[in-house]
Amino acid sequence: MTATSLPPKSLRNDLRVRVRTRRLVLYTVLVSVTGLFLGPFGWLVLSGLKTQGELAASPVHWLPDVFQWHNFADAFTQIDFLGYARNSLIISLLYATLVTVSSAWVGFGFARLDAPGKKVLFGVLLGSMMLPQMVTLLPTYLIFAKVGMVDTYWPWVLWGLSAAPYLVFLFRQFFAGMPRELEEAAIVDGCGYTSVFWRIFLPQSWSVLSASFIISFTWTWGDYIAPQLLLSTDRTTLAVAVMTTYVNEGGAPVPQLQAAASVMYVVPILLLFLVAQRGFVAGMSTSGLK
Amino acid sequence: MTVDQISSVADRPGAAASAGRAQAAGRPRTSMTARRHRAFYMFTSPWIIGFLLLTITPMAYALWLSFTTFDGISPHWRYVGLGNYRELLNDPVTWDALGRAGLFAVTSVPLSIIAGLALAVLINRPVKARGLFRTLLYLPAVVPPVGAGLAFKSLFDPNSGAANGVLTFFGFDAVGWLGDPYARYVLLMTVLWTAGNVMIISLAGLQDVPRELHEAARIDGASAWRTFRSITVPLLSPVLLFQTVTGMIASVQTIMPLLLAPLGDTSGITTVPQSNYLYMMHVFAQYFALGRYGYASALLWVLFVLILIATGLIFKFTSGVVFYNVDPEAKK
Repeated sequence: MTATSLPPKSLRNDLRVRVRTRRLVLYTVLVSVTGLFLGPFGWLVLSGLKTQGELAASPVHWLPDVFQWHNFADAFTQIDFLGYARNSLIISLLYATLVTVSSAWVGFGFARLDAPGKKVLFGVLLGSMMLPQMVTLLPTYLIFAKVGMVDTYWPWVLWGLSAAPYLVFLFRQFFAGMPRELEEAAIVDGCGYTSVFWRIFLPQSWSVLSASFIISFTWTWGDYIAPQLLLSTDRTTLAVAVMTTYVNEGGAPVPQLQAAASVMYVVPILLLFLVAQRGFVAGMSTSGLK
Repeated sequence: MTVDQISSVADRPGAAASAGRAQAAGRPRTSMTARRHRAFYMFTSPWIIGFLLLTITPMAYALWLSFTTFDGISPHWRYVGLGNYRELLNDPVTWDALGRAGLFAVTSVPLSIIAGLALAVLINRPVKARGLFRTLLYLPAVVPPVGAGLAFKSLFDPNSGAANGVLTFFGFDAVGWLGDPYARYVLLMTVLWTAGNVMIISLAGLQDVPRELHEAARIDGASAWRTFRSITVPLLSPVLLFQTVTGMIASVQTIMPLLLAPLGDTSGITTVPQSNYLYMMHVFAQYFALGRYGYASALLWVLFVLILIATGLIFKFTSGVVFYNVDPEAKK
């Protein structure tokens, strides 16, 4: 009589065990997948701590006998690491700043203004997101070579000034959601749209501005093919230098220094991501047409 | 078709703006309207000019070059009409490279979407330290391609790589991962490694799925798999469609085969193993190793048209399947 409302004790225990094993499986899967995902980068760090002999050893030498921390210092001196890092930083800052402002500017137009042809233009904008950049980059390189812009940073200035469709879309979504009263009062007071944009809309969009800045900074820092094509060995970026310049006098690669250098090349981006994670992820999610 | 679908989704938060548009149009003060029109073009002009100069012009230039034998050095280049196109159609290397690129796209894109979706579903359960798992799983997607290429090269090094270390530990023979025919699997793994991208975007979508729907399905006795198939996937379908299209385009233009090759710079294009010699690598070889700008431009234009066709087909075949959860009231 008393036990009818509750299942018998053995069944309850059975249920509890099942829930517990389920949870155990879930965590095991999660932890092992996470381990697999961190593996490649972890291995790169380990490679940067080995000697060249250990890196050539077969079968594999799992851990270095002595951690070769000096590889990281040597990677700095073997090439002009800081010089390349500075080039990367200049190009990335230049492009990220310009493209963020220009994309916000264009995004404002698409979100808050209209004119005949707007629908078509917006369609072209969305369509151009699907254009493979590689298809335009190679002929662009030939044109830049013709007008003498190879080995300068002008291409990044021009790319930055002309806004990126993806970021325009990001800003357009954000601005379109802002209340209309914001600009109406200002326009009636005789303010132009330019000052409405600078004084009312931009100061309210720090979250999108920072997301856009971080996303475009990461793109440029990670870009390999454009600097490889457009810049000479001295003016090129860290991405290209890490990939191509760690060789000895005979032209043979020096893998432990290359590994150490690539860790130092990747870590700033990882830190930037960890610090600004929220904005970055919000930006990425919007791109998925959530 | 495609653009309308996307912009109808895009319009969702823009209800305020569209309402204002109707109001502005009905206003008698035409100078105000004219001002808005002028302002629209003032604001969008940086993109319009940039698009004309940096996208349309190079594309047109490449189209012109594709009808010539231009190589950047020889002054005796000439117009050959469709000669380059005829040559590429008759070149078995082109067809092989195209086939490999197609195979790579139809394997890497679905696999990484499935992996990303699975991770998203896994992490969307009540787990402890969810934020930490999410961050760590997403982290590889932030690693620049050069870093990823070097990491996988060291991981799959035939002598000192961990992959062969594990294989020999369990008594298997070591494998020449970075050469034929295994290099393609390493390439595939570099794509799967960044599945966190799909995970993050799907996760945002999953959290938008109304909880009542799941509860209602559960009460009706639907299994977990059934709710996933009939509720989660349809509601995520716009996100998945977007991932398919962008994933396909990314897979076609990936430079990862080059970064995984023994020599990573563009002069190392000849060291890319056969099984990773995708269409874009074929273009690079013609461009950098042989300097055949005319022929390479023809290859690029063929690729461009093929991508247009593929994108169109994807949208066409999914138009009845993809479910846009757009509030019809918001569209007025």
